[in-house]
Amino acid sequence: MRKILLTCGAACAALLLAAPIQASAEERITSLADVPEDFEFYPLPPGEGVDEVYYACIACHSLRTVTNGGYSQRVWDELLDWMVEDQGMMEPEPEVREIILEYLTTHIGEDWEG
Amino acid sequence: MSQKERGLIELYHEDPERAEYLVFGRKAGPGRRGFLKGAGLASMGAVLGTTIPFSAHMPAGLMPAALAETINEFTLDAKHADMIVHNDRPMNVEAAVHLLDDDVTPAAHHFIRNNGTMPMPMSKADWRLKIDGEVNEELELSYDQLMNDFEHVTMRAQLECGGNGRAGFNPLPRGNPWTIGAIGNAEWTGVRVSDILRRAGLKPSAVYTGHFSYDEHLSGDPDRSSISRGGPIDKMMDPHTIVALKMNGEDIPIEHGYPARVVAPGWAGSVSQKWVTRIWVRDREHDGAGMTGLSYRMPRHPVEPGAEVAHEDMMVMGSMIVKSAITHPVAGTEVRAGAPFEVRGQAWAGDNHVVRMETSIDFGATWQTAELSAPPNRYSWQRWRQTIIPPMAGYYEVWARGTDNHGNSQPMVVPGWNPRGYLNNSCHRIHVMAV
Repeated sequence: MRKILLTCGAACAALLLAAPIQASAEERITSLADVPEDFEFYPLPPGEGVDEVYYACIACHSLRTVTNGGYSQRVWDELLDWMVEDQGMMEPEPEVREIILEYLTTHIGEDWEG
Repeated sequence: MSQKERGLIELYHEDPERAEYLVFGRKAGPGRRGFLKGAGLASMGAVLGTTIPFSAHMPAGLMPAALAETINEFTLDAKHADMIVHNDRPMNVEAAVHLLDDDVTPAAHHFIRNNGTMPMPMSKADWRLKIDGEVNEELELSYDQLMNDFEHVTMRAQLECGGNGRAGFNPLPRGNPWTIGAIGNAEWTGVRVSDILRRAGLKPSAVYTGHFSYDEHLSGDPDRSSISRGGPIDKMMDPHTIVALKMNGEDIPIEHGYPARVVAPGWAGSVSQKWVTRIWVRDREHDGAGMTGLSYRMPRHPVEPGAEVAHEDMMVMGSMIVKSAITHPVAGTEVRAGAPFEVRGQAWAGDNHVVRMETSIDFGATWQTAELSAPPNRYSWQRWRQTIIPPMAGYYEVWARGTDNHGNSQPMVVPGWNPRGYLNNSCHRIHVMAV
């Protein structure tokens, strides 16, 4: 089952009651089991920047390394630094790095259920 | 970069992952996003032609194979179907807990924790073990020499991933989300590391070992080690620490280190280098991949969950700690109210051994002592059994708790959080329905 992300408490709840269709723009997959297996970038959940993340990661390891755990922005940020500095990852352009970090924080963050 | 001057086919044949890396590093720019999405995987070759000078050499079908997310297609022929695959590159697989019911863990039930690639097996004829560093005489030993020139020992030995149980920590530390199955107790045969080090002759300056292997770093960079850990010389001179040549009486399967690996039982599995080719005797704590920073280290002092811990406040882990698993029955089993049923499992305690096992079916209010077998040899896990009679129909949880010979017990809740999620030895529990 897909989960609805509520980021603004009561206001969003009211919106959801009044207009559930609009809420689908806020819909975000938070579990690996809900990612469609025919999605081009499976097992990553859909979202802005998913293709950058896919190609940056699969060069060295499977995407399950990415979807195995949801982390805070700080941890993802450290992981990107670690992969570039210690693990031979090709350093992404700063704007690409920003997109990757934003995707990971938003879509595979601490509420990601794996 | 010199790599740019080489043909892709050459790169791929030498090292497919490095080739993928070079290719995909050039694909990640946002300016190409539309094309990649629109073109799909089949068009990747054409895209590459615009950025790779040697595209004419690129074999057809390269990119789809490289792009395939193989977790579903990947079959572990050598592994039981109930093994839990966390990852296939690097390969990380743990046992569903009921697969740990054997006293000697079959290879098909033994967890796999790789840091680098799964290497192509090196032949016994080509394989060598180098001993160098703080020794009087450097050695380069062949497989045959280890088979014929040294005494062999056979023992059951617990190997447990340092992060076994990581999934229980909150916030979840990075790393494989192991539950409880990253432990195995196979029967290993090999040569004592102490006998090898004595033959080389340890200098008084020898304090630590650093281990190296022939698997490759995931980036494909030949100058990087996938992992290179080791142990203090006392652990290496312990007669139970061996260079193993056999697992359960057979050649060691490739995923467990063919043709030879270190087995340093009771310590985080990463000390037990698979595919070992070199033991470097050092005059200081080894500083290879996985020895520094936060890896395989615990905070010197308790920290709050999620805390950032300075590297200087971390220390290298030693022995694993007391733990147990309920391997029978399978969680969720239906049992008869008022009738006895057997609960059993394994218990282990790193360098120590387990002296008491207890179970509870009332959420820890009361505990009943279980039957506990002595280990057949030091460092083997120990069988425990309990007979339980659920007094009436309903939902029960069976909790199991071990205590070691130093009086350390398993906590019922998750123990102290640490940045990488090591040493979670909280009590294992299963539920049963009495009807």
